[in-house]
Amino acid sequence: MSVRHRKTATFMLVTLLLLSVILGCAKQENTPASTSTNGAANEKSITLSWPRDIGTMNPHVYNPSQLFAQSMIYEPLVSYKQGGKLEPALAESWTISKDGKTYTFKLRKGVKFSDGTLFNAAIVKKNFDAIMKNEKTHSWLGIVGVLDKTEAVDDSTFRMTLKEPYYPVIQDLSVVRPFRFLGEAGFPDDGDTSKGIKKPVGTGPWMLDEYKQDEYATFKRNPNYWGTAPKMDKITVKIIPDGETRVMAFEKGDLDLIYGEGVISLDAFKQLRDTNQYVTTLSEPVGTRSLLLNSSNPKLADLRVRLALQHGFNKQAMVEGVTSGLEETADTVLSKNYPYTNVDLQPIGYDVEKSKALLDEAGWKLPAGGTVREKDGQQLDFELIFDKTDPIQKAMAETIQAEWGELGVKVNLTGLELTVQIKRLRSNQFDLYFWYNYGAPYDPHSFINVIAKKSFGISEVLSALPMKKDLDQQVHEALSSTDETKRQELYASILKTLQKQSAIVPISYIKKTAVYQKKITNFVFPANRDENPFEGIEIGK
Amino acid sequence: MISYIGKRMVAVIPIVLFATLVTFALIHISPVDPAEAYLTAAHIYPTPEILEQKRHEFGLDQPLLTQYMHTLQRISRLDFGASYLTNKPVWDEVKARLPATVELALSSMSLSIVVSIPLGVLAAMRKNGWIDILSRGISYFGASIPQFWLGYLLIFFFSVRLDWLPVEGRGTWQHLVLPTLTLSLVLIALYTRLLRSSVLEQLQETYVQYARTRGIRERMIMLRHILKMAITPLITSMGMNLGKLLTGTIIVEQVFSWPGFGRYFVEAIFNRDIPVIQCYVFLAACLFIVCNLLVDLVHLYMDPRISSKGRAEQ
Repeated sequence: MSVRHRKTATFMLVTLLLLSVILGCAKQENTPASTSTNGAANEKSITLSWPRDIGTMNPHVYNPSQLFAQSMIYEPLVSYKQGGKLEPALAESWTISKDGKTYTFKLRKGVKFSDGTLFNAAIVKKNFDAIMKNEKTHSWLGIVGVLDKTEAVDDSTFRMTLKEPYYPVIQDLSVVRPFRFLGEAGFPDDGDTSKGIKKPVGTGPWMLDEYKQDEYATFKRNPNYWGTAPKMDKITVKIIPDGETRVMAFEKGDLDLIYGEGVISLDAFKQLRDTNQYVTTLSEPVGTRSLLLNSSNPKLADLRVRLALQHGFNKQAMVEGVTSGLEETADTVLSKNYPYTNVDLQPIGYDVEKSKALLDEAGWKLPAGGTVREKDGQQLDFELIFDKTDPIQKAMAETIQAEWGELGVKVNLTGLELTVQIKRLRSNQFDLYFWYNYGAPYDPHSFINVIAKKSFGISEVLSALPMKKDLDQQVHEALSSTDETKRQELYASILKTLQKQSAIVPISYIKKTAVYQKKITNFVFPANRDENPFEGIEIGK
Repeated sequence: MISYIGKRMVAVIPIVLFATLVTFALIHISPVDPAEAYLTAAHIYPTPEILEQKRHEFGLDQPLLTQYMHTLQRISRLDFGASYLTNKPVWDEVKARLPATVELALSSMSLSIVVSIPLGVLAAMRKNGWIDILSRGISYFGASIPQFWLGYLLIFFFSVRLDWLPVEGRGTWQHLVLPTLTLSLVLIALYTRLLRSSVLEQLQETYVQYARTRGIRERMIMLRHILKMAITPLITSMGMNLGKLLTGTIIVEQVFSWPGFGRYFVEAIFNRDIPVIQCYVFLAACLFIVCNLLVDLVHLYMDPRISSKGRAEQ
């Protein structure tokens, strides 16, 4: 063979190899996701998208497992419902000792895990032991700090003893992680679930059917489920990280539902709503977007300055303009759909004249010909830090800068990465900061907890308030009180103080969005911020 | 040839070492402590005790030099540690995602070669003709449109409006079409213009006129002589682009929900998943070096005048 022919043959061979690789790659079987909506003739299924992979489905660990998916497989002892009502789930009933330290749960009988094994007090204890083995990991949750002892009294009775009374025990047990229950077959040999589980076995209405990391997950109905069986046979979750792609997949009909917080842009939501071809809906407030005015900064330690700043911007116009009305203006730090928060609080409204007067009164005067107020040779300026990847925070920060600029208050904006932003909050290195409360079922008790407990950043923000010690004391009493009326009074007092002190300025209530095809009926947002909405969903004809 | 490859491989070592050093330094300069990043990624509240525990676990309480030596030792065993996010070995996670990226890179590279070579040659041969104008139009469009935007446009027309192809995902050859088109267009734009100008340059050479006077057919001159010479700059460019494609076509993978290496890396950045970032930088350095070497070898093969010492022998 001549050199030229040899070269030609090599070239042909390489081309052939390349082609076979491409065709080989292309000839893969269809993903179930692409056929899920047209599955078996009578199968009722819906497909939705989620920005991230569902994760390892370990009930006792956090990221990367997604809360909504964990809540499909695993159940709590107690379930959180609308308005903060706590209803029996895996526990049929519970009793609390008079001293508020012993909780005895009667477990629901006849409950089986998806693999057919029985749910009983022994497995509850085993799960609690696995969780408490990594106590430090879960120390953010109040119950973990006070839990002393757990015991399986008999097959259907589980008892916990606390070191000290802590009223939100039941609320803490209703959260999605870590206090949910893995079946025996899922436990690793050494019982330490923090390193991984063998398989996801739960008592919930769904079980994981097929899963391909970063691509899709399908859940089918758990045949052993003790409660009312879901109407759907199958839920397919497609992992689509890009918001615009998600919207186009929905418009094409590949998705039946887009649900969550910030999963699509507000513009896309409005655009889908305006077509009138789909159902678009907003949840009740799930959290409050607030602005922290750090009182440990001497300029902000003056109540008159804080009040002036709150009076000094048009919240209504800003929320309307920036979120297109998809968030609701907030007058109080906690919305009224949590327990103990239906308190009559005086809103601090938009009033530029009052704002200017307060600043003058505080000694911050506009120098002749100047634009920034001054006092004792110091300018009235602040640094507002915000998450630079969040377009809403950025737009709000710019609006506030402009409005306060008119008052003679200079605001310097600093866009940061979220991790750096959080670090600055925790180390108390900021003047102004966008902050969010935790939502249901964590609030209101988690909210008051961070008011008193250091290192979360909020206690430090309030540190210069003259009544900070009293506030801390009230928080401690509210969390440990066994008297419902007293607790309500304490909450009312705490919320009133915070409202008057204006160090946490409520801006807007954040809502979850859902967009779905018209064939879906009975869609209800879950009361628990982290749960799934698939309980009652049906497909109409 | 083998000794040449050997020598080149040895030369790779200092470059890779430099890459690991830069990554190590960047991670330590960053304002976020790796232990804190781990806890944040795992959604664990970083209390001082647990921070201390994690710092000790990760060896962050050791002197910097010791830490760097440990990092090197581990990397030499292809052990990049466990992802902060998933707790699984990074190398296993990367291996699981590489096929998707390789598939997309190869298909894009192949399509761009198949289209740009004839288009570039024809554009040069029919200078200022309609095919040249067409190629200029494609190049202008391909070079100026942002890839994510092109991706959205393609999805909108071919998936949403015409319903011919899937919007996102991976699995069938249909899934491959739109991301491949998106990635190829910019390459086609580049290669077509490169080849066109290079062919035009060769056409001026005396050997072409000599071949013509010898009565060799125009097509033969083009295939056997001009193309062979004109393709050299194209190969250099392809080598570099292959490196880029293999290190993750981040935006395109994101837009088309392609479960590849690039998307994995983006998530790692957002979560400050440092072991993953370290692995990525190391792999990217290696891939670029290998692509560079491949380019040189192809040059060597195509033009025997270039000696294995790397210079043209006159």
